[in-house]
Amino acid sequence: MENDARTIKRTRSYFATLRTIYAKELRSYLLTPFGWVILACTMGLQGFWLQTVLQIMSKATGEGVMYYILSNVTFWFFYIFIFPLITMRTFAEEERMGTLEGLLTAPVTTTQIVLGKYFAAYTFYLVLWMPMMLYPWISRLGNVYTSFKYGIDPEGVIVYRLADWYGAFSILAITGLFFIALGMACSATTRSQIIAGILSTCLMISYYFIGRVTELWGEFPAAPIFHYLSCTEHVSAFSRGLVDTRPLVLYVSLAILTLALTKRIVDYRRWRR
Amino acid sequence: MSMVTAEHLHKVFGRFVAVWDATFSIDKGEIVGFLGPNGAGKTTTMKMLTGFMPPNAGTANIAGYDILDHPLEARRHIGYMPENVPLYDEMRVYEYLDYRARLKGITGSSVRQQIGYVIDQCGLEPKRSNLISTLSKGYRQRVGLADALLGDPDLLILDEPTNGLDPNQIRQIRELIRTLAENHTVILSTHILSEVEMICNKVIIIDQGKIKASDSPENLTRNMRAAGRVSVEFKGDLDLITKELESYAPVKKVIHEGTLPGGWHRLLVRAEPGTDTREKAAAILMSHGFPVRHIYRHIPKLEDVFVEMTRRD
Repeated sequence: MENDARTIKRTRSYFATLRTIYAKELRSYLLTPFGWVILACTMGLQGFWLQTVLQIMSKATGEGVMYYILSNVTFWFFYIFIFPLITMRTFAEEERMGTLEGLLTAPVTTTQIVLGKYFAAYTFYLVLWMPMMLYPWISRLGNVYTSFKYGIDPEGVIVYRLADWYGAFSILAITGLFFIALGMACSATTRSQIIAGILSTCLMISYYFIGRVTELWGEFPAAPIFHYLSCTEHVSAFSRGLVDTRPLVLYVSLAILTLALTKRIVDYRRWRR
Repeated sequence: MSMVTAEHLHKVFGRFVAVWDATFSIDKGEIVGFLGPNGAGKTTTMKMLTGFMPPNAGTANIAGYDILDHPLEARRHIGYMPENVPLYDEMRVYEYLDYRARLKGITGSSVRQQIGYVIDQCGLEPKRSNLISTLSKGYRQRVGLADALLGDPDLLILDEPTNGLDPNQIRQIRELIRTLAENHTVILSTHILSEVEMICNKVIIIDQGKIKASDSPENLTRNMRAAGRVSVEFKGDLDLITKELESYAPVKKVIHEGTLPGGWHRLLVRAEPGTDTREKAAAILMSHGFPVRHIYRHIPKLEDVFVEMTRRD
């Protein structure tokens, strides 16, 4: 078979390579049992939690359903564990299998690898929240059913505002930007998925507690910093429909910093290996 | 034209010196064998050339591109097959090669064409849609080689390409490397010395992180200590023959290795490398009328070179 190096079509496009890595990583989430197990668990927990929230709502009133779903410790209890699950393999697995060597000896920059993996993990994270897309539709259906059966004002049965729903979605998307990056940084530090998972869980919980410091210590001179960093407060505000750009700036800049750190870690480990 | 020039490469892990001051150059079209005991620094040197492991000091130049200043350009010229061939187990052979081809910047119709070419070259056709996790060691090795060949790189760096294969597979891979060598430069590492003798036209011997020799196999074996040795088996006066042989200038020492049944004495004549004492020995024995049944000049092998350069005693 003829093979002439000069006739091979080649590209040097930065984004073509990035897209190749992204597509491969996303496929590995969606075409392996690993991704589906996470998806199934998260969906199960979301379903269970939605059911519980509806019970709570039958006693409490005043806020929308998204607020009750997101501003509760039970939600955070499983939300925090999603990130280590998604990200713990990203670098640790490649390093353990040795495939990182093939990746880093291809004409690809470390930044491309980090970004490709990051966007793939982030896309998968957004896929996890797809069932939530159905909530307005489900509650609409519920209201229609109620009005049909009991003939009362459907708006009063499930307190539902589209603004809440938009807010909830955007805050989940925004916090994810940072938490996915954090999990990947942890994964880059080790060749063991377990260690990566434990490390990122610890950091995630620490960050969660930073946001609750003011609840324990009350208000003190430095308290605004903690309010500013508090992911629980952000989520509560957004799920009430109060969309704010400050958390966006916070999480985007934290994500960029963490990704830069991840790139450094990957390169550093190559140096001292 | 030189394809690879390594200048004073050093790599140290903590207190362990993996490679110390490795300087060598490899010309276009050469097949180079890296030889050395386990842990000698072969793999580390290769990893430095591919840019995976940056050197602590020194640098290397691949096809005119410095591995530290222009890592991407240098990598574009390298097809690398790492030791033990790490692959993504959850992918199919075709998928994997497609991914690797695109990573190497191949696009459009060339992706299909290249995959077809390497699958054909490496005999992977029957396994093209198998999951990599189901492949045998031999086929994994071929997938690794196919990956290295994608995009027709000028330089192939193969770390133990025949490791763990059966004799038939080794023969196939060796044939493949020989065909590739027509228009590629190949660097390979191996423990199998006969393999190097068969396919390589240059040998670099590394021991304890240092380059001990870098030359063609012929030149290396020519100046070996073992090169001038002659074995003789004869019947007759042992002391007389020993004395007469030792008085001949190129002979350094005559060793009596023993007496075999029937009164045959076996002598090992050590002489200067590159000399041939067979004729003289025969003449001496003839002049006394002693019967001779065996005169043999040792042909040095790469194995002798290797042992001599890397032994610790």
